[in-house]
Amino acid sequence: MRVCWKRGRASAPPPLKPLSDIRYRLLIKIYRTAYDFFGEMAMMAKENTRGRLLKFIPFISVAAFLISWQLIVQLGVVPKMLLAAPLDVFRLFIDKLTQPHPDGALLYVHVLVSLEEAILGYFLALAIGIPLGLLMGWFHTIEGFARPIFEMIRPIPAVAWIPLTIFWFGIGLSGKVFIIWLSGIVPCVINSFVGVTLTNPTSVQMAKTYGASKWRIFCTICIPSALPMVFGALQMALAACWTTLVAAELIAANTGLGFLITMGRRLTMPDMVVLGMILVGLTGFIIGVIIDAVEKKLLAGIRR
Amino acid sequence: MALQTRATTIPNRPQPPRRLIKFLFSALGNRYFLYTLSVVMFLAFWDLAAVKKVLGNFLPRPIEVLSQLLSLNTEPLASKTLFEHLWASIHRVLIGWAIGVSIAVPLGIFMGLNPYVRAIVKPVFDLLKPMPPISWISLSILWFGLGEESKVFIIAIGSFVPCILNSYNGIRLIDPALYDAARMMGANRRQEIIEVGFFASAPAIFAGLQISLSIAWSCVLAAELVGSRSGMGFIIILGMNQSSPALIIAGMVVIAITACLISVLMDRLEKMVCPWKRELPQ
Repeated sequence: MRVCWKRGRASAPPPLKPLSDIRYRLLIKIYRTAYDFFGEMAMMAKENTRGRLLKFIPFISVAAFLISWQLIVQLGVVPKMLLAAPLDVFRLFIDKLTQPHPDGALLYVHVLVSLEEAILGYFLALAIGIPLGLLMGWFHTIEGFARPIFEMIRPIPAVAWIPLTIFWFGIGLSGKVFIIWLSGIVPCVINSFVGVTLTNPTSVQMAKTYGASKWRIFCTICIPSALPMVFGALQMALAACWTTLVAAELIAANTGLGFLITMGRRLTMPDMVVLGMILVGLTGFIIGVIIDAVEKKLLAGIRR
Repeated sequence: MALQTRATTIPNRPQPPRRLIKFLFSALGNRYFLYTLSVVMFLAFWDLAAVKKVLGNFLPRPIEVLSQLLSLNTEPLASKTLFEHLWASIHRVLIGWAIGVSIAVPLGIFMGLNPYVRAIVKPVFDLLKPMPPISWISLSILWFGLGEESKVFIIAIGSFVPCILNSYNGIRLIDPALYDAARMMGANRRQEIIEVGFFASAPAIFAGLQISLSIAWSCVLAAELVGSRSGMGFIIILGMNQSSPALIIAGMVVIAITACLISVLMDRLEKMVCPWKRELPQ
């Protein structure tokens, strides 16, 4: 859409005066056309520079962020013991790809171990949380039994379960999966519960009028109408799982990204800490993108 | 024939055992009866599992947890009673949360209002956003040591992200019809922002505050688990070091109750501060 350059102006361009001299009038006409034309051009140029600037600024700001970070460390504003420069982190990243020193495992092993724990806990949470939430939303008896227990467990942050889990399961895989499962199940249950309770009552009543059984209404009406909410839970549960994974590994682990971060602190290697943080962020981001794509594909046929 | 037999076999008033069954069924339909039943059954199963030692020696009986809770009030743990530990945690949460919120909310609002601020801040924020706040613990301990500052720093970081996201989206997703209406009444840009933007985005911003407070509560626990001398996380980790699961569960109960109270309090506050928020139909 082209923006009319006159819109923002306080005063209109000079009006035509009734003149007898036709040549003079023609001159004014040409002048006005030129005025319009160049004004429009100027406006377009201005709009364009604004748009281009807004597209350009993000790159500048990220570059400025990275450069100032590098300079702060390089010029000694912050001692090297406390913060690692981005280039150092990158160098450590290249090194860690090939040598297990000093924390005992290659980088991809850490990533894979963390991913295994997170994905196991995540899918267990989905497999139990979503059906539970859906059933709780439709059947009052199940809701009556499951809700108080769920409400008792829900306010406890997953982090607070760590000591008890270490007692019960040890520091192996199962303990971490348990903690991740606990943190992931909460959004699953809540979202699918709310999704079912928000079902349009008109469709439920119509199904009742046609004589559908309670189970049939649940399967054919409530579940499809709750699906968008359920898919919303996928992302939330993933975020919760991934956060808790780091917490679980910070306390007790011998491989994994959280362990990498802890080890960096113990050895006073800030570059390792930052590398671990970046990898955690990056991996979480990539899984989030994958789940987003899956969600879009699954939701494509469902009208919201 | 069938009609007649039915008429003869069913009496007008149900027989006593039938009445009992009917009463039980109606009780099963009653929500509050079911709630109490479920809590009682949960406690009973817990007690049974503890007595039978399903999880070894590491599951105390509910009564032991209760007595531990009561004794925590009178016998100081690391020279502090339960309430002093609780206050230590809440104190840290409040300071860190206040710092995080007071930076994040204005920044989010500016990001929503001005495209240049958005273009400058958003990419850096997006870069830092996917890192869980708990992963900052190591860095903050390197920077600030094991004192109060490191905990406050983590809490501020944890409450920063949801606050900034919610206030940014709250401003950005205001219904443009509201702006149009204000503009039709002759409002200028300043009035649009102050009299329309702030009020229309207040529910979203408040939701951000709520989320960030609950994240701050779990962050303080994580920070105290890693290293501290007071607070609820310290009680839990002490229970682990003394291998007394009753102490751990007592701490978890207090944590859960506090989290509940915080969320109830924030709900009340929200109803007071922005009563125009539209509720989801429930």
